[in-house]
Amino acid sequence: MSYTPDRSQYPAMRPDGTLDIDLTSGKYLKLWQGPQHPGITGNMSVELTVCGDEVVEGKTHVGYLHRGFEKLMERRTFIQVFPIVCRVCVPEPDFNEYCYAAAVEELAGLQVPEQARWIRTLILEMGRVNSYMMYLGGQAGAFGLGVIGQWTTYARDLMLDRFEELTGARIYHMFILPGGVRDGLPDGFAQRMEETLAEIERTMKDVYEVMFCNAVFKTRAVGLGYIDPALLDQYGVTGPNARAAGVAKDVRKDHPYLAYPELDFEPVTGTESDVYARADVRRRDVLVSVDLIRQILAKMPKEGPVMAKLPNVLHWKIPRGETYIRGECSRGEYGYYLVTDGSGYPRRINVRGPSYTHAMALLERMIVNVNISDVAALMVSLHTYPPEIER
Amino acid sequence: MSFKDVVSPFTAWKNLFRDPVTIRDPLNDRPGAARYRGFHQNDIEKCIGCGTCETICQNGAIDMLPVEGRATKQGDSGLRPRIDYGRCCWCALCVDVCMTGSLSMSNEYKWVESDPDAFRFTPGVDAKHWDHAELGYRRPEGHRLTAEHRLHMGEMAPEERIGSFAEIVDGYDVAQAKLEADRCVACGLCVATCPAHMAIPQYIAAIRDGDYERGVSLLYETNPFSGICGRVCTHKCESACASRHEGDPIAIRWLKRHIMDQVSVEQIRRAVGTAAPSSGRKVAIVGAGPAGLTAAFDLAKRGHAVTVFEALDKPGGMTRFGIPEYRLPYEAIDQDVDIIRSLGVEIRCNTRVGSDVTLDELREKHDAVLIALGLQLGRATRVPGTDHPDVRKAVDLLRQATAGEDFGTPRSAVVIGGGNVAMDIARTLARLQKQQFGAVKVIVTALEDFAHFLADPDEIKEAGEEGIAVFDARGPQQVVVEDGKVTGLRTWKVKAIFDEQGRFAPSYDETDELFHPGSMIVEAIGQMTDTALLGDALTEKLAWTRGRLQVDAGGRSSEPWLWAAGDMVRGPDVISAVADGHRVAASIHTAIMTEQAK
Amino acid sequence: MRTLYERLKALFPLGELTEQRPDMGFVTVPAEHLRPLLTQLRDREGYTHLVLLTAVDWIEEGQFQLTYLLCNRGAARDLGVRVMIPRPAVGLATMEGIHDLWPTAATYQRELREMFGIDFPGSPRVDEEFILEGWIDIPPYRRDFDTRKFSEENFNHRPGRETRDPAQYMKQQLYPDGK
Repeated sequence: MSYTPDRSQYPAMRPDGTLDIDLTSGKYLKLWQGPQHPGITGNMSVELTVCGDEVVEGKTHVGYLHRGFEKLMERRTFIQVFPIVCRVCVPEPDFNEYCYAAAVEELAGLQVPEQARWIRTLILEMGRVNSYMMYLGGQAGAFGLGVIGQWTTYARDLMLDRFEELTGARIYHMFILPGGVRDGLPDGFAQRMEETLAEIERTMKDVYEVMFCNAVFKTRAVGLGYIDPALLDQYGVTGPNARAAGVAKDVRKDHPYLAYPELDFEPVTGTESDVYARADVRRRDVLVSVDLIRQILAKMPKEGPVMAKLPNVLHWKIPRGETYIRGECSRGEYGYYLVTDGSGYPRRINVRGPSYTHAMALLERMIVNVNISDVAALMVSLHTYPPEIER
Repeated sequence: MSFKDVVSPFTAWKNLFRDPVTIRDPLNDRPGAARYRGFHQNDIEKCIGCGTCETICQNGAIDMLPVEGRATKQGDSGLRPRIDYGRCCWCALCVDVCMTGSLSMSNEYKWVESDPDAFRFTPGVDAKHWDHAELGYRRPEGHRLTAEHRLHMGEMAPEERIGSFAEIVDGYDVAQAKLEADRCVACGLCVATCPAHMAIPQYIAAIRDGDYERGVSLLYETNPFSGICGRVCTHKCESACASRHEGDPIAIRWLKRHIMDQVSVEQIRRAVGTAAPSSGRKVAIVGAGPAGLTAAFDLAKRGHAVTVFEALDKPGGMTRFGIPEYRLPYEAIDQDVDIIRSLGVEIRCNTRVGSDVTLDELREKHDAVLIALGLQLGRATRVPGTDHPDVRKAVDLLRQATAGEDFGTPRSAVVIGGGNVAMDIARTLARLQKQQFGAVKVIVTALEDFAHFLADPDEIKEAGEEGIAVFDARGPQQVVVEDGKVTGLRTWKVKAIFDEQGRFAPSYDETDELFHPGSMIVEAIGQMTDTALLGDALTEKLAWTRGRLQVDAGGRSSEPWLWAAGDMVRGPDVISAVADGHRVAASIHTAIMTEQAK
Repeated sequence: MRTLYERLKALFPLGELTEQRPDMGFVTVPAEHLRPLLTQLRDREGYTHLVLLTAVDWIEEGQFQLTYLLCNRGAARDLGVRVMIPRPAVGLATMEGIHDLWPTAATYQRELREMFGIDFPGSPRVDEEFILEGWIDIPPYRRDFDTRKFSEENFNHRPGRETRDPAQYMKQQLYPDGK
């Protein structure tokens, strides 16, 4: 199960760094993990070359749900782009809405009302909790702990209820649009949110006891999938993957946006940089988000406008320019690069999803020499969402 | 790893004693949230079929289609949105942009149907069980994707303007016009309502783009009197504007004027282009008003030789001699007319048909004759005392005022009438009084109450600012004459203007009598056409309907060589006259090119 | 941002600095100076994080813009380095790769090769299909690739859709004679 220091039976490395794998030798086997496989994160697959039960080479394949969003956005007016951005990332769509809206606002010179700024922050933290809930279920599931997923799905569903009453939708909220947000908080929202948060905290306690204080989980996760902190910049690693390696990369602190400068929190970090450390960083980050949601609801203004005055959106033109807006999503740095050319349509939009680097170059490097049975857990621990890779 | 790590996972067993968290009957026990964006609802009475929802839908999920039993009318296309739920993404941009607020979304999200085509339906027309759902997404207050308020139009202060006949309204500057033009959603509901079907959304788009040459080309495609209409048009278009439902209508008239303000005469000439090569045909037009000159413009462009005969000393017809200068400066008329002249149209002023030249002569020398006489005779109230010489007709006074004749400005005057002509003469008199005596004493008495007033609200407001007293719902009973001099007008309160059959038959409350002092009484209750120039024989030969010359859709009379156009057949309105001019020109062109007319 | 620009300007022929935000600037550099500039930024100026690498198709100008967005986390500053390269009407554009400076750049370069037709010779697996499998048309993120035309040629529309233009329909209804 563990790494064998004796490499004599494994393929030799060519001068260019690739491996000399002779498939006809009978020593190697090609295995496809995904796209239909319980041990895969969404619609992607990993092409594994194994020697015995050890992976000698892995290639990530994406493209199973490429929808050409960046191109579609170029064919839509600035307001028409708003409903499709969320679809780039299903489990945590709000960063698309925020980054796109903020990029448009910056290039169009719009000022977002104070209350809208807070509601946006609230929504992003709610989304982060949900995203982590999906991750925890997946991470535990990759080790056979199915019950964790049931609990976190329940907790996520409660948060979806809160999303539904705030934004009018559960998954694709379409609530943060250029200029602000659609509406203020509904009556009694804070109260119901508090009940939800309490339930999430209770769930997290159970998760801690059953998943994190668990001999099986520890045995397999500790020491698995080590990311050398020196690799972080080379591979564009951000978010919990970086924080678990001891580097406190957090856009909320590094480049404060929205209401974060007025909120009290510390980025969660780890030291071991393995699967367990990354899971634990995320577990503790849920609690930070729960705390942040409480702070937001207490500190935010309760009235005032939530939308800036927009020009007639049907013929909205934005002067030539380019900008990049980032935010700290549950997986790391999420960003929108928007280029405008003076017309009523974006010239180019590029979505930077953190999984783009995590699931491709980084995963392909990390997967080598790992036991087949650990591939799923390793992959899940990077918390990758394929739709944001291929967009 | 510790002993705890072995034991702790077993705490999961405590969940055996918890209640399940699943909803037993989600189809019934789980309604959508109050703001849920579910299936659409459309208030079909409120909807005007402007299609803005279709324009904004980024999925192409909405079609605009006719609906049984819903007729097209002014300001309502009669179309209604049909939604294809195979494409809808529930973003609610259609609800956010809806110009009337008719469209919304219910909180219903469950609907099972085996026929996929059933998921393409017209909300509000095809009955659904959520049609009356109380909850669902409604556009939140203050959440607007278009600007609802009209840009303020600057104008001269009352105390400043009352002393002169200078134009009151400033016109928009480029920045203001761009903002106002930006409000337009380009639905085009206005186009059909405009008698001339001007390309309104397109010329407003030209303002947004700052392309005034394109703008003026578009204006001249349908209206050679854009300078005039940009100031005094009755702007029926604005009453059909989609923006009026949840805000102010677009200032279409001012935007038209703005284009004309921005272009030079050379630019207009370029936009108008040149006349076609000579056709060898000749047309005589009687009357240099908007209808006659529009026809002249069209016919000249097609290469016909056009001569316009005008009895007064300047062209423009009622736009010059009926509308006061403070509303429509003479330069604006001159500019529009000069462009028409530049196409080779000859305008012979001071030439009265009937005396200076006869209709028969015109008929002999031309392939077709068009009469566009306008309404130059004022109607009389025929109440006692109106035979006095100091009881005048508004049209006569306005004509004299334009000609610079002194008709003896009264120190105090009472105007009978509630239309724009009444306001025109009242405000003209007020200016003359201010100039000559330093004080304004003008009273307007109208049959209609303020809720049904005929004059534009702006006119009433501005007249009030200028010191004119407007009395509504007053019926004139007698002009009081003492010692041979007019001293004022006696009126009764109007109970109703029309009888139960809807005929004009005012009834009065005789106990509510008022005396309005004034040394001159002006009747401004309507106009009619002086058709004396036709002569008895021709009048006898022509077909008439209820006092009006009978013409076909192309303006042709029962005599094949004679056409009529404008106010005399259509009623008083510049833009209708322009539209009529186009129609008649097309009819004349076809006739003289295909028939051996005469 | 300005002081960094002045420092770099002394070393490289940079275009004008666009100060998009106090913490974000964009600057254009000739293609041959990209590598030394990025190396300088990464090794001397603390711009160690390659945020993204993407392209913009300025088809009217016959150019591709490559944007290398770098971040200095400590200073909370971003610098976008633009490189304008010729855009052939057909066939591939070419640019030198930076996968040796940031290994992760290989993924971006592979995508640009596929989506824009910009080749990065020597970049690992740059010719392997990335997202599109069996793609037959021109690189789809080029501006001259028409998504609507492509979809109409390759997919069927479900029948039953029709619509009317409100302005035209009103004219037909209210003035059927066209006048």
